[in-house]
Amino acid sequence: MSLESVKNPFHIGKTFKQIDDDIMRPMETFPSKTWWIAFLIAASLLAMFAGILIYSFVKGLGIFGLNNPVGWGLYIVNFVFWVGIGHAGTLISAILFLFRQRWRTSINRAAEAMTIFAVMVAAIFPLIHVGRPWFVFWVFPYPNERGPLWVNWRSPLLWDVFAISTYFIISLQFWYMGLVPDFANMRDRQERFKARSKIGELLLTVKKITLRVISLGWVGSAKTWHHYEKMVLILSALATPLVLSVHTIVSFDFATSIIPGWHATIFPPYFVAGAIYSGFAMVLTLMIIMRRTFKLEDYITMKHLENIGLVILVTGMMVSYAYTVEFVIAAYSANKVEQYVFMNRLAGPYAWAFWTMFACNVVSPHFMWFKKLRNNLTVLFIISIVVNIGMWFERFVIVVTSLHRDYLPSSWDMYVPTIYDWGMMLGSFGVFFTFFLLFVRTLPVIAIAEVKADEANDSLHAAH
Amino acid sequence: MPSLHEIKEGLFSYQESEKGWVATVRTPADLLAAAKKVREAGIQNWDCYSPCPIHGMDEAMGLHRSWIPFITLVFALLGATLGISYISYIDLIDWSIVYAGKPYFSWPAYIPILFELSVFFGGTATVAAVLILGKLGKISRKPINNRITSDGFAVWIGDSVSREKVQEILGNLAEEVSAVE
Repeated sequence: MSLESVKNPFHIGKTFKQIDDDIMRPMETFPSKTWWIAFLIAASLLAMFAGILIYSFVKGLGIFGLNNPVGWGLYIVNFVFWVGIGHAGTLISAILFLFRQRWRTSINRAAEAMTIFAVMVAAIFPLIHVGRPWFVFWVFPYPNERGPLWVNWRSPLLWDVFAISTYFIISLQFWYMGLVPDFANMRDRQERFKARSKIGELLLTVKKITLRVISLGWVGSAKTWHHYEKMVLILSALATPLVLSVHTIVSFDFATSIIPGWHATIFPPYFVAGAIYSGFAMVLTLMIIMRRTFKLEDYITMKHLENIGLVILVTGMMVSYAYTVEFVIAAYSANKVEQYVFMNRLAGPYAWAFWTMFACNVVSPHFMWFKKLRNNLTVLFIISIVVNIGMWFERFVIVVTSLHRDYLPSSWDMYVPTIYDWGMMLGSFGVFFTFFLLFVRTLPVIAIAEVKADEANDSLHAAH
Repeated sequence: MPSLHEIKEGLFSYQESEKGWVATVRTPADLLAAAKKVREAGIQNWDCYSPCPIHGMDEAMGLHRSWIPFITLVFALLGATLGISYISYIDLIDWSIVYAGKPYFSWPAYIPILFELSVFFGGTATVAAVLILGKLGKISRKPINNRITSDGFAVWIGDSVSREKVQEILGNLAEEVSAVE
């Protein structure tokens, strides 16, 4: 089947068969050496993460740099960082769908995978931070023999439990349902493969059975597509406020407290903008690597990357605006403590963290004003990394600088992360990348059926 | 007022395509045209197959609106109702306690949880509804031919219609008409 070329910047203009072959190639060839090296590094970091985790269970939270007053350290920084990363996937698949943005189609599958893995990584941190992780199921309000002892419904920490678990489950369902037609496609392709050994034959059989089960007996009936398309629309409509609610509620963890530096009404929009900012930066990092290694340049074009760059520019400016407002409000508040906290951020012992954040988040997105730079892969790649470093420091600044100077100077203390804190942070990247690297080799990284739907639509319009 | 049977048929729109004829067509546009013709010929027992959703197929096939949004709404409201009932029972009856000087029933603080519960119930019900209404989950089912999930487009018509009639309806839109046993 061939499609006539049409004037849509995102039109791919390949036959459906070519699209299948291009996107499924990584799954049907043996992983390259680069993949193995990357995977080994990621898996070692994951092992280190698990090791520190077990060590912390044995020794207790004392191995981390937490103290009084800084009771929330790198754990919460990492939690907020990873939840933020997890925002771009659903934003791309839901909000850009509602806005009919064609460029979402090539990147939504990988971005959703990124979301799911990032939320998984994020959820680990507060679970350990509770101190007795084996009782962590107490956060769920089920009838119990402890009184019954119920949760506090007025606490934003509990809202967070509901928000993060809902977000994870809905994103997972959205992602899986999107995969079903592609699973059916993979299922019907397996006939072409012949095993060369007994073990190979066994593996192929396992693969065929697995694909048969997970494709749910999908046969491509128009009557199923009819409901399916409605589901995509409805899930997008549900996921749009959901994605905004999640980081809003994460920001409530801070904003509803009375700690100077946290107690600010701008926090919800500020956090949401920051989450989208860092999430898109992570999408950019991953897409630049993915399109290159899997030769998907025809699907994830420079125009896609340019659009991501523009989103980074806009959300970067929103974040900069929020930083400014925080300072203006502090200055205007006539509240000495509030003013002190912000002066302390600028010039206190953690000023280096603040200025790192400022350079990365406020200055660097402005390179995206220039079309030349938006079309330069090296620049895009560097900016995407820099933005995520900046966003990590933003959370560090918010958590640590607000806590380390209590009201009484006798309660002041410095927070110095220990080697275990840093190990957990580095290890969390290992967990994330292990999952992501497995994903790119086992599942179609681009939503094949959706790409085809857009291509088919182009051909229908061309025929008119 | 539709009869109960019609409602049930409408709910489970997917039909098993067992005996009959399958006509393959070349392009999405041809599939749309073919669907229009089959519908105009007044045939009841039929379906279309494609590797991707095709814009305008619902109208071409005359499918009525999906029930999915209605199901979502009902379950989203159910989620919120169950949530508020559970919280009220706990905060008013089982364990009334003053937190931070707030009233026993502090509804503004419940809103985030009620919102999340309605999204959770609504979203999960939506997915479940697609599985049920689209009759997904029967894993022994095979596509009408192996190209459908990749790059094939086809119309299936039940065996109450003769092969000649199928050919007559579709004319030269059909690439090939073969029997399904």
